[in-house]
Amino acid sequence: MAKARWILPVLLWIVLSFFSNEFLQKVEERSFFAFDLFWLRNFLYKPSGILSCCGAFLTQFLHIPWMGALIWVLLLTASAELTRKVFRIPNNLSLLSYIPASIFVTYNMTMGYIVYNLNIPGFFFLPVLGYLWAILTLSVLRKIQKPLALIMLTALLGFAGYYIAGFYAIVGIITAVIDIVLYSNCISCRIPTVTGALAAILLAPIAFVPTATYNLSTGWTIGMPEQIFSLSRSRMQLPIVAAMLFLLTMPLSRHFLNKLSGKPLSSIIQGLALAVTIAIPTVFWFRDDNFKAELQMINAVDNLEWENAIDIYSRLQKKHEKESSWQPTRVLVLLKDLALIKADKDGQLAFNFDDGSKIQKRDFNLPMSLQIGKELFFYYGIPGLCNRWCIEESVLSGWNNMTYKYMAMNAILQGNTCLAMKYIDKLGHTLFYRKWAKQQLELCGNNSFVSTTSPYDKILPLMCYDDKVCSDFDGCELFLTNHFNGPSPLNSTPLYDRVALLFAMKSKQSTLFWTKLFLYLDSNNPSKIDKYYQEAAYLFSINSRNEELLKSLPFDNNIKNIYNTFIDKASKVRNKNNEEARAIFPPNLRHTFYFYFYYINELQMF
Amino acid sequence: MKKLSIPALAMLFVACSPKAPATYSTANSVPTIFPDYTDITIPCNIAPLNFLIEEQADAFITVLKSTSVEIVIKGSEVRIPKSKWNKLTNAPEISVQIFGYTDKQWTAYKPFKMTISDEIDPYISYRIIPVAVEAYEKLSIHQRSLTSFKENVVFANTMVHNNSQGTCINCHYYRNWETDNMLFHVRQYKGGTVLVLNGELHKVNMKTDSTLSAGVYPAWHPTHDYIALSNNRTHQSVHAASHDKLEVLDDISDLILYDIKNNTVSVIENDSCELENYPAWSADGKKLYYVSYRYEGGYGDKRKNEMFLAREDFHFNLYSKSFDPDTRTWGPVVMEYDAAAVDSSITWPRVSPDGTKLLACISTHGVFPLDQIVSDYIMFDLTSGSYRHVDELNSPFAESYHTWSSNGKWIVFSTRREDGVHTRLYFSHIDENGRFSKPFALPQRDPEFNREFLYAFNIPEFMKEPVHISPRQFASFISSTEATRSKYESKREK
Repeated sequence: MAKARWILPVLLWIVLSFFSNEFLQKVEERSFFAFDLFWLRNFLYKPSGILSCCGAFLTQFLHIPWMGALIWVLLLTASAELTRKVFRIPNNLSLLSYIPASIFVTYNMTMGYIVYNLNIPGFFFLPVLGYLWAILTLSVLRKIQKPLALIMLTALLGFAGYYIAGFYAIVGIITAVIDIVLYSNCISCRIPTVTGALAAILLAPIAFVPTATYNLSTGWTIGMPEQIFSLSRSRMQLPIVAAMLFLLTMPLSRHFLNKLSGKPLSSIIQGLALAVTIAIPTVFWFRDDNFKAELQMINAVDNLEWENAIDIYSRLQKKHEKESSWQPTRVLVLLKDLALIKADKDGQLAFNFDDGSKIQKRDFNLPMSLQIGKELFFYYGIPGLCNRWCIEESVLSGWNNMTYKYMAMNAILQGNTCLAMKYIDKLGHTLFYRKWAKQQLELCGNNSFVSTTSPYDKILPLMCYDDKVCSDFDGCELFLTNHFNGPSPLNSTPLYDRVALLFAMKSKQSTLFWTKLFLYLDSNNPSKIDKYYQEAAYLFSINSRNEELLKSLPFDNNIKNIYNTFIDKASKVRNKNNEEARAIFPPNLRHTFYFYFYYINELQMF
Repeated sequence: MKKLSIPALAMLFVACSPKAPATYSTANSVPTIFPDYTDITIPCNIAPLNFLIEEQADAFITVLKSTSVEIVIKGSEVRIPKSKWNKLTNAPEISVQIFGYTDKQWTAYKPFKMTISDEIDPYISYRIIPVAVEAYEKLSIHQRSLTSFKENVVFANTMVHNNSQGTCINCHYYRNWETDNMLFHVRQYKGGTVLVLNGELHKVNMKTDSTLSAGVYPAWHPTHDYIALSNNRTHQSVHAASHDKLEVLDDISDLILYDIKNNTVSVIENDSCELENYPAWSADGKKLYYVSYRYEGGYGDKRKNEMFLAREDFHFNLYSKSFDPDTRTWGPVVMEYDAAAVDSSITWPRVSPDGTKLLACISTHGVFPLDQIVSDYIMFDLTSGSYRHVDELNSPFAESYHTWSSNGKWIVFSTRREDGVHTRLYFSHIDENGRFSKPFALPQRDPEFNREFLYAFNIPEFMKEPVHISPRQFASFISSTEATRSKYESKREK
C-alpha cells in the first residue's frame, strides 16, 4: 500500500494534464507574473505578499498545463514526504502524510466557477507553499537546542515568516511550539519557544498596523483565499483550515502513531488514509461538462481558433445528444455564435446546434460580462465596453495576462499606440507572452497593417457605427442584441450587415429580419443565399402569407421540404416545451430555424 | 599600506567617475527625454528631476551644470543624487548637456536648461484611482513630499471595507493649504464626511430632508467656518467606440453651505432646472463662483436617459454670488462668463490666492472634463475682466482638476497628455505677466514610473505640511464612529 505514495502523484499528474488542462490554463490566464521590479514591488506592501508572489511565479507554468501540473504535483509530494519525515510517521502509516496534499487537491479542483471569484495572486499554489513554509519552520526550530538562540529564532521566524507567508507562518510557529514542548530533549527550551512564539504571533500582525492599508480584521488570517463576490467565506477557507488543523494535530498524534506501528490497526488506518486521500478530491472534484466546454471555448477564442471553438461545441452537443434535458449555457451559445461569425459560417451553421440557457453550476453571483465580456465586446467591435470589463476585472481581482492582452489589442484597435505599448510592455516581461507582445509591437502605429491583420481585420468592419454612450448593466447578450438590432449605420459594412442579420434572426422579429436581410443582400451580394437565411425568409414569408416573396425569392427545394416535414411533425406534437420537443424532433428537424423559432423560447439572457 | 590605500581608492573612484567627452560632434536637436523636462521652470525646492534618455545610441553621458556644481551621469537613465541636486538648484539655472555614443563617436545634443524659480509648497496630496467604471475596491488618498520622493497613504478604502460592503472615498480638501483643517468623503459602508477641525476628527452626514444629497465637491471658506459644497446625483455611461471612455453627468445638482460651528446645512442655489456645480470662493471669501447649466427636461430615469442623449448640448456657464460671511447672507446671481455663447462648457473654477486670477477648465460640453478628450484651460483676469485660453498649458488630451499653490506662483493640474487615459500630475509656474511656464511632470524616483503605473492620479491639492493624522487613526475613527446628521437651516438673502 505504501507504493500508493508514488502512484497517486503520477495518477494525479496524468488526470490534471489530460483531463483538466483547460482549468489549469484558466488559472494561468487569470494570473500574472513578470520579471519586472516595478511589478514585483507590489508584493512587498502586504504580509504574505512574497508567498503570493511565489505562487504567481509558479502559476505561469500552468500555461503549459502538463508542466504546471508537474510542478504542483511535485510540491504536493514534497509536502507529503516532508510531513512523513518531520513527524517521523512510520512507513506502514505513510499515507496519512498525503491527507494535506489531498485537501489541497480538493481545494483547487472543487473550485469551478470560483476561479473567477478569487482575488489573491498565486491562489492555486498558495496553500501548498504555505504548508511547506509552516512545516519547514517546524523542522528548522526543532534543530535548535540553545534556549537563547531558540527564543530569537522563533521570534524572527514568526515576524519574518508572517511578513513572507502570513497565516501559514503563524500555523508553522504554533506547530513548532507544540512539537518542541512535547518532544524536545532540551527542557529549558520550552519556555523560550513559547515566549518567542507568543511575541511573534501577537505582535507580528500589530507590527504591520502603522503601515497597513488593508483591513485589520484579516490580520491573523492574511494569506487565506479572498473572494470578490459574496460567497460563504468558509467555502474556500475550510479546506485550508482543515489542512492546517491536520498539521497542528500531528505533533499531538505523533507518539500515538509510533505506538501503532506494526499493529493490525495500522493497516486499517493506512487503508482509511488511502481511501480518504482518494475519495475526498474524487467526490468533490468539480465536474460540469458545460463549464469545461466554456473554458475550452474561451481558450479557443483567445487564441483565434474559431473552428476549434465550433468543434468543442459540436462535441459537447454530441455527447449529450440523447439527454433531452441537456442545455448549453448562454456563455457557450454566445461563444459559438461569435466563432461562427468569425469563421464565416453563421449563414450555414447558425441554427445547426442546440440552443438553451442552462443556469451555470454555481451558487454565487457572477456577471457574464466578467466571464466573457472582454472577449465578446472586443470581437464584436465595441472597444469601450471591452475596455470597461478589462478594467473592472483588474480592479476586482488584479491585472492578469488576459486583461493586459485585451487592453493592448483594444488600444491597437483604437489606434492609441502609446497606450497599447504600455500594456504590451507588461506582457513583454512575461515568460510565455513575450512572443505575442513582440508581434503586437510591430502593429503599433501601423494602422494599415492593423486593418489587414487578424483579428483586427474582422473587427474594424464592425466598428462602422457612430459612437454612442451606452451601458450593459442588463447583461452583455441583451446589449449586443440591442446594438445590432438598432438602426444600421449609414456606412455599414458587409460584415456588420451579416452580423446584424444573425442577431435579427435570433430575435425572431419578422420586420427586423426583412430589413436586415435586404441590407445584407445589398452589401454582401451573395451568389447563393445561405441555408438558414433561406429558412428564416421562407418561414417569415409563409407566416405573413406573402405570396409575392415566396415566388420571387430563390428558395432551395430542400428548404421547402424540410419546412413541410417540420410543420407536419409539429402539428402532431402540439404544446411542447424545448426539452420535450428536443426529445421528439430528429436532428435534421431540430437543427433548423423553424425549430428555433417555435421551440426555443424564454431564453434567459445574462 | 593604510596611508596609500585612501588616495589609491580616491584615484580609482576618479578614474571610474564618468567624464564629459573631450571631442564630439554636435546635433541640432534637443534630445527626447521622458518625462519631458527640457527648457522648463522649476521650483528651487523640488525633488530631483530624474529622466530617461530616449535617443538611439550605445551609451549616454549627461552633464548637469549650474554656477556652483557640475554632475556627470552615465547611462540612459538619469537619476540625480538628492544632495547634488540640492546644490544644482541653489543657482538661477541648470544647463543639461547630453552626449550620445554611436559609431565610435560622441555626439552632443542641443543643450537644454531648467530655470530655477520660486519655492513651491512642500507637499501635495492626490487620490490614486483605477480608471474603472463601477468597481472602486482600491482607492487611496496619498500625500507626497515635493522636496523628496517620500510618499505615504493618508487613507485607503481597503482599510475599512470588506468583501460584502464597499466604501468609496473622494474629494479631499484642505483649508488654506493647512492640514489641521481638512475633509474627505466616505461613501456607502461607514459613510460620512470626515472633517478634521483643528486636528480633531469628526464625521458628518450633510444629507438633510431638504437637500439632495450629502456634500460632494467642496470649497472651504478662507476666513470663516463655512464650507460650500455641491449636491450631485451623478450618472456615468461608457462610450462604445470613442477615445473618450466615459460620459459623466449629474441629472440634478445644487449648492449648499455647511456651517461648521453649528453643524447646519443651508441652500445656496437649488433651482430645479439649474445644474449648479463646482463652488469656488474668491480669495477674500466675499464671493462664491460656481458653474451651472439650465436644463428643463423630465424626471427620473427618463430625465437621465434624455440627458445622456442631449449631452453635447450641455454648456455650463460661470456664475457668482456675493456673500457676507459675517451675516451669512447671499447676494443675487451674476453671470461671469457665457460659455454657452461660444458652444463651450466651463468647469472647475479656482481662484488664485491673491484673488486676481481665476483658472477654469473649458471643454466642448458637459460637466466632467476629465473624461473628455478636449478639455483645456481658460484664465480670467479678475481685475480687468479679460480672459484668455491658456495655450501654454493645454495639450491634445484632457486637462482637468487644478490647484494654486499657497504663494500663487505655481499650479498643479491633472492631465492625460501622456497616453490619453491615465491622468498624471503636472506643474507650471506663473510669472508676473500671468504667463505659465512649460508644464513638467511630478518627479519620480523611477523615471519610468508614469509609464508603468496603471492607476490615475486625481484631485491634486497643495499642502503646506503633511497630514498629521495617521491612516490607522482615520480607519479606526471611520469604522467606529457614526456620522452626525446635519440640521437644515434656511438660506439668508439680501
